[in-house]
Amino acid sequence: MNALWAVYKREVGVFFRSPIAYAIAFGLMLFLGVLFSASVNSAVLQNQSGFAQQPITADLLFQSNLAVLVFLMFIVAPLLTMRLISEEAREGTLEVLMTLPMGDWAFVLGKFLAVWTFYTVILALTLAHTLMLDGIGVLDGGVVFGAYLGAWLYGGATLALAMIWSAITEDQIVAAFLGSATVLVLFLADGLAQLAGTQDFTRGAANFIRELSLQSHYQNTMLEGIIRAEDIAYFVFVMIAAVFLTTLIVGTRRWRAS
Amino acid sequence: MIEVEHLSKRYGDVFAVNDISFSAQGGQVTGFLGPNGAGKTTTMRILTGFTPPSSGTARVAGYDVFEQSLDVRRRVGYLPENVPLYRDMTARDYLMYLGEIRGLKQRGARADAVLARVGLSSRAHSRIRTLSKGMRQRVGLAAALLHDPQVLILDEPTIGLDPIQVLELRSLVKELGRDHTVMFSTHILSEAEQVCDKLVIINRGQIVAQGSPAELRAELARGSRVLVRAVGDVESLRALLAGLSVVAEAQIDGDAIIVTPASQADDPRSALAHAIIGAGYELLELRPLAVNLEDIFIELTRQSQSAAPATPEAAQATLQEGSEVSA
Repeated sequence: MNALWAVYKREVGVFFRSPIAYAIAFGLMLFLGVLFSASVNSAVLQNQSGFAQQPITADLLFQSNLAVLVFLMFIVAPLLTMRLISEEAREGTLEVLMTLPMGDWAFVLGKFLAVWTFYTVILALTLAHTLMLDGIGVLDGGVVFGAYLGAWLYGGATLALAMIWSAITEDQIVAAFLGSATVLVLFLADGLAQLAGTQDFTRGAANFIRELSLQSHYQNTMLEGIIRAEDIAYFVFVMIAAVFLTTLIVGTRRWRAS
Repeated sequence: MIEVEHLSKRYGDVFAVNDISFSAQGGQVTGFLGPNGAGKTTTMRILTGFTPPSSGTARVAGYDVFEQSLDVRRRVGYLPENVPLYRDMTARDYLMYLGEIRGLKQRGARADAVLARVGLSSRAHSRIRTLSKGMRQRVGLAAALLHDPQVLILDEPTIGLDPIQVLELRSLVKELGRDHTVMFSTHILSEAEQVCDKLVIINRGQIVAQGSPAELRAELARGSRVLVRAVGDVESLRALLAGLSVVAEAQIDGDAIIVTPASQADDPRSALAHAIIGAGYELLELRPLAVNLEDIFIELTRQSQSAAPATPEAAQATLQEGSEVSA
């Protein structure tokens, strides 16, 4: 526990001192902010014009804001996790850590919790948008809570998945590309499931693929304020499995000649 | 206390370490000596619990490195070969971090104490990236000493240091050897000879010799060539010596004669002295030739390399480079 806490604290410190981490957070918030202000602007115009078939509600704007954020995790997650383990392997500090009296899991879990913490802070920054919307419209508290809980778990799952690649390769760029591909595939799997659902002989596979995809556990459930045990279980399972797999991969360094 | 029995480590078809056995006692510095790529680092990685062995056993401080890895790691201080450090941390923060992972109480006091011991107190709050190579080496050593381990394993700690730093580090290692089990690897012979109480010479994954420097020297003194110098006609003395039964060959070298003994096992010196004085020569000098550890080292590594293309030149070059550093 000492060790886990020590690794976690150091890594959080690294994130908050790293210019790259700030650049990633800044880029993401800039993109979200521009998109947010544009969509609020057009929503207000559209609602006032009287041509809208349905008025665009604050809830809808809030949901699209978070939907964009989780979509962008295919870029943000690999950028935040690419150096997490690969850097220690490359610098050789992994050898020092692996000869200290701590389990490999403590090292991996500490790293993961640190990056998830940093993500949590980024997610908290979007509260600025949410509070603004609450000022100009009325937000459903249940939707806000469910969407945030979901976005938090969704982020954790994508970070854990991207982290696996950081343990596999010492090259940060390679880790980032492969992490990005992994998250994107799991994101788009929902679309693939829809496609598969159109044919009789692939309908069985469609359900399976849909259950596997990140989107199906967020888009129409938590983002709408519907909190289901199966969605939470899915994200938690992905995180545990990814941390476990990363631990195993880190452990294989002991058997490799380097 | 380190006990290694029939230890092997294989990567694919290649044996990095092949059936080695040795032990290192407490209160001693054990030198682990061999040319580059001999298996020193692999052995040390096994002893520190980083890499599991393929076969055989190793016990450090009474614990098996594979079965009781965490117990071993608690009691070992390890300085890896390239001294990996977090370059953005200060020396003291780095030690505090390792201390926290190790669960040490009074980390601050321990960190300050080891920094003082390696003479780095004044740079405790400098970022590691701003420290010189020698200072980084000392930060690594401080990290190895942090938890006052019973066993210290130092992988080529003097590489890349300037001559003064090398001397300082050697005396520090010697000092540490008094109350720790220190295992210290090097490819520089003179260094091992100065610092170590016991030497283990490894080549191509196998141990070729072990013992105290004096023992190793005595071992090779038997059967080595002898230099004879006496007052009188050199040519007739040569003829006299060449006729003795203990002598295989006698050659003139300037005003002296180099005698190669007939048997590797016996020391021919007393027989030579009797013969020379008996024949009326005044004996000036009679000594075994060139018995220092460098010759032993080159001899041993050359023997065990005979299967493959020998590289005594490379070994010689390494050694000369080493002697320059120590000079």
